Amino acid sequence: MYVEIRGLTFRYKNAAEDTIQDFTLDIRKGEIIGILGESGSGKTTILRLIAGLEIPSRGSVRIDGRTMVDGNTFLPPERRGIGMVFQDYALFPHMTVEANIKFGLHRMDGARRNERLEEVLRLVNLAEYKRRYPHELSGGQQQRVALARALAPEPSLLLLDEPFSNLDRDLQQRIRDELKVILKGAGITSIFVTHDRDDSRALADRVVILRGGRMVEIGDPAEVLR
Amino acid sequence: MRVLEIKRLYTSVNIWGVLSWVFVLLILLPNANILVNVFSEPNENWDHIKEYLLRQYISNTVLVTSLSGLFAAVIGTSLAWVVSVYDFPLRGFLKWGLVLPLAIPPYIAAYTYNGMLNYTGVLQTFLRNSLNIYIDQRYVDIMSLQGAVFIFTLFLYPYVYTITKAFLEKQSSSLIENARVLGRSPLEVFLFVILPVSRAAIVGGTTLVMLEVLNDYGVVKYFGITTFSTAIFQTWFGMGDVDSAIKLAAMLMLLVFAITMSERALRGRRRFSYTTTKARPISRIRLKGLGAVLASGYTFMIFSLGFLIPTLQLIHWALQTYRRVLGLKFLELTLNSLLMALGSAALIVCMAVVIANYSRISETVIARTNARVTIVGYSIPGAVIAIGVIVVFVALDNHLYWLYRLIDPDTPKLVLTTSLVMLMFAYTIRFIAIAVNSVESGFEKVGKKFFEASRTLGMNVTRTFFKVDLRMIQPALLSGFLLVFVDIMKELPLTLILRPFNFDTLATKSFQYAHDEMIHEAAISSLIIILVSFASIYFFHRVADKEER
Amino acid sequence: MTNKLSRILLSLLLVLSLALLAACSGGGAPAANEGDQGESATGADEEQMVNLYTDRHYDTDQELYDLFTQETGIKVNVVKGKSDELIERLAREGEDTQADLLITADAGRLHRAKVQGLLQPVSSEVLFNNIPANLRDPENYWFGLTVRARVIVYAKDRVDPSEISTYEDLTDPKWKGKILVRSSSNIYNQSLLASLIAIHGEEKGREWARGVVENMARDPEGNDRAQATAVAAGVGDLAIMNTYYIGKMLNSANPEEVKAAEALGIIFPDQEGTGTHINVSGIGLTKYAKNKENAIKLMEFLSSVKAQQQFAEANFEYPANPAVEPSELLKSWGDFKRQDISLSLLGELNSKAVQIFNEVGWK
Repeated sequence: MYVEIRGLTFRYKNAAEDTIQDFTLDIRKGEIIGILGESGSGKTTILRLIAGLEIPSRGSVRIDGRTMVDGNTFLPPERRGIGMVFQDYALFPHMTVEANIKFGLHRMDGARRNERLEEVLRLVNLAEYKRRYPHELSGGQQQRVALARALAPEPSLLLLDEPFSNLDRDLQQRIRDELKVILKGAGITSIFVTHDRDDSRALADRVVILRGGRMVEIGDPAEVLR
Repeated sequence: MRVLEIKRLYTSVNIWGVLSWVFVLLILLPNANILVNVFSEPNENWDHIKEYLLRQYISNTVLVTSLSGLFAAVIGTSLAWVVSVYDFPLRGFLKWGLVLPLAIPPYIAAYTYNGMLNYTGVLQTFLRNSLNIYIDQRYVDIMSLQGAVFIFTLFLYPYVYTITKAFLEKQSSSLIENARVLGRSPLEVFLFVILPVSRAAIVGGTTLVMLEVLNDYGVVKYFGITTFSTAIFQTWFGMGDVDSAIKLAAMLMLLVFAITMSERALRGRRRFSYTTTKARPISRIRLKGLGAVLASGYTFMIFSLGFLIPTLQLIHWALQTYRRVLGLKFLELTLNSLLMALGSAALIVCMAVVIANYSRISETVIARTNARVTIVGYSIPGAVIAIGVIVVFVALDNHLYWLYRLIDPDTPKLVLTTSLVMLMFAYTIRFIAIAVNSVESGFEKVGKKFFEASRTLGMNVTRTFFKVDLRMIQPALLSGFLLVFVDIMKELPLTLILRPFNFDTLATKSFQYAHDEMIHEAAISSLIIILVSFASIYFFHRVADKEER
Repeated sequence: MTNKLSRILLSLLLVLSLALLAACSGGGAPAANEGDQGESATGADEEQMVNLYTDRHYDTDQELYDLFTQETGIKVNVVKGKSDELIERLAREGEDTQADLLITADAGRLHRAKVQGLLQPVSSEVLFNNIPANLRDPENYWFGLTVRARVIVYAKDRVDPSEISTYEDLTDPKWKGKILVRSSSNIYNQSLLASLIAIHGEEKGREWARGVVENMARDPEGNDRAQATAVAAGVGDLAIMNTYYIGKMLNSANPEEVKAAEALGIIFPDQEGTGTHINVSGIGLTKYAKNKENAIKLMEFLSSVKAQQQFAEANFEYPANPAVEPSELLKSWGDFKRQDISLSLLGELNSKAVQIFNEVGWK
């Protein structure tokens, strides 16, 4: 399997119970996984564990045969090559769109960097906005910049945290469709979390239902989300 | 094995951790030196102090501190309320004019007020000579416990005022409007909505006031009130009894802890510094007639007492004495003060950034403690810090002597001890808590998401810090810098004790004149301090205002 | 825009602070301080100097030091501070101290410095000739430079000066609620009581302190000068104060102070008996002085006829050198009989005095 998550368990400091219990999941390359759960079910925590922003108390994550974390190893987030789109995008307000996207490309040389910038900007359809600052963009545009920024370093896995929660209803649907096209077009493996069944249905190849930090169901959206 | 790997996780965190630890240990070292003595056997003198003096130390200290805190809370909160909710003549100016008493160090205020109010001062002289009125000295007796409370209240209330006002302006418009729509009068809104809601802000400001009072040496010394801080000086220097002085210092620290703990308790789980949502400004009620007169009158009175009157008096004295006092020497004094304050403040902010960043990233209890521990310096009287610092530096110089000899064969032994480095170091211990506080609130405002985003984009902790964090907390850095800068400009006991040969600052010169009963001569240096503080405060508020927008 | 501004500002400050750090760790003297380049204390060919810790802060002192430098080529470096803090600093610096001389404003403190082993004796004929034996340490660890008396002042319009002539009279019940005096934490009061203990014994001393407390017009507050103005203002009728404060008030820039001082009369107590309490400000050579010869030269200079007048007059004090006349103002108060005890007793009995004050509740 491309992504192998085994027995991931996590407890926040001072918490009485495990936030995530024994979470196991295999993902094929290019697959889009939706994690569906109420707020507080631990779905964001799973993303943070995969990204390396939290340290699991047990369990392992391997991507493409490379161990991200297990009993002996812990790669810090900057060495995992995993992209993440944050719920409120976390675009650096002091940088232009261009600088935001190039931020993750610091290991490339200048020419390659510009090339890649243009590529992802075209991908998210924002080529003419690269001189703008985040606060000069609409919510949908910001979201696409965040996506472009996460995609630019060509991550092995893309994590999206409630990608549509900050958008208007009708915008949500449009972006959702766009996103699917972009992700599928780029052939990128991704996990997104949401509390919205429609999102999951429209976007996910498989859906995981999470309750109280445990996986209660997994399968085809059409089946799981009857 | 696992331990090793986990360590690798923190490799980049570690640079910060190591630096943070070094800084904190450096800060603690001189104090620890003193604190180990707390548990030494009490000597005879201690029994004597316990029997005859301790009660008075405690009652005076508690009385001055709590009364000043109480009045500062009342005045600060009421001003914040009036200024944020009402519109009245002069409001635009007074809104920030009411912060200005902070520009006048309490010890300068103390001798200015004494100079004005005593028998030969301008007030009584005028009444006596022009109106033939003789007042009972008891009513104008500023050199007393009540007088000290008056001074502290008037010149420290801005801590409560600024914090509460910021809170009210940011957070309360919808609450106030709601309450009004529900048919409550402004006074009811104040009592039943604003007061409970802004409790955390008020308590926070009041705590600062009380800490400042506990630490004051200049005012109580000048007024001759025995509080813990003067008692520590007296026991240590006057009776030559280090052990008992340290025991007193330890008791003072207990008091400080009690106050900070009760702040926690009173504040509850509320935070007063920040909300993410941009709140609408309060739509102010325009006052007319008597209301307007009262509002303007009240705010202007406080402004006058806390800034205008003492400043005018100082200017008057300065005009009387400038011919005798002013000279090139003054340029040097001013330069000394400015350079010292600028340099130390920059250094302190840099260290604070390291400590706060480590605390934020590592999120371990120990790292958090590091940041909290910095408060130690804020709670120990300057004189005690000074002695601790000297001990450490003399030892340091002894250890570094070989190095000095390498550079210059006939160097004296005490190189650092006789340099400004020692004074800077002492300032750091004393004021780093303020800087850490600002930087932390800056980090808090920004949150961790940008940091995390940067990490997932392949930047390590240090690069993230320079490329992202530093840029985002800039306003906080600047405000922290300004706060520390002003405090150093005004600082007295440390500078008095630790400065090198032939080194004077505006503060030491003012105090020296005032203490030698040459209050008029002290006016010019005091005015320069006030002017510089004034400018910094003005700048600080511009930064804060811009930040809000 | 603010971003740019604050960035520039921050980097500017950083550079500044680094420069400052470099300047002060390198040179040992702040860049802002002109003419203080005497890093090397031991080099014989280098500039000659002497380092002084002093509790005197008068601008006219500097003129004397300058004169000394002119005459001898020895530069005088000064740290000003309060006596107690300077002594503590000296103690902490130990044998590495840079200070060669210590000037404090009270014999009791000089004695403490001696007891703490911070001073060393000086054997100088010049000093022995200039300073009378009772104004210096019996073992020559310190020498008085100026003399002040602790006197009683009274409101001329309310008190008949014939009614009071001794310190003991202050305890007479007829002065109940009339006496003004500063806090017992002040060393001048401590030394006064110490002298009374030395002369009359501990019990008498305690009685005296208790009696004064009972007669106080108010809880002690403020300094000596505040007591004097309080007498002028009518809070009380009698005050205990040092002579030089009267001089300062009479020479004040504020005409009201002059007026208040003029309303006061001075009584030198115990003229028929043991004499008025006096104290000195004095100088001692530090135990680990690095510039011993220069330091002794400065001591001798300060005790000389040439320097004594200005040195004493700066603070309206009596010169310690009997060959020098006091100022006109002091002469106008007339000659007076002084307590005839060795001033080192003030130091020896200091802690006893402090204890008694605390016991009788003299705040």
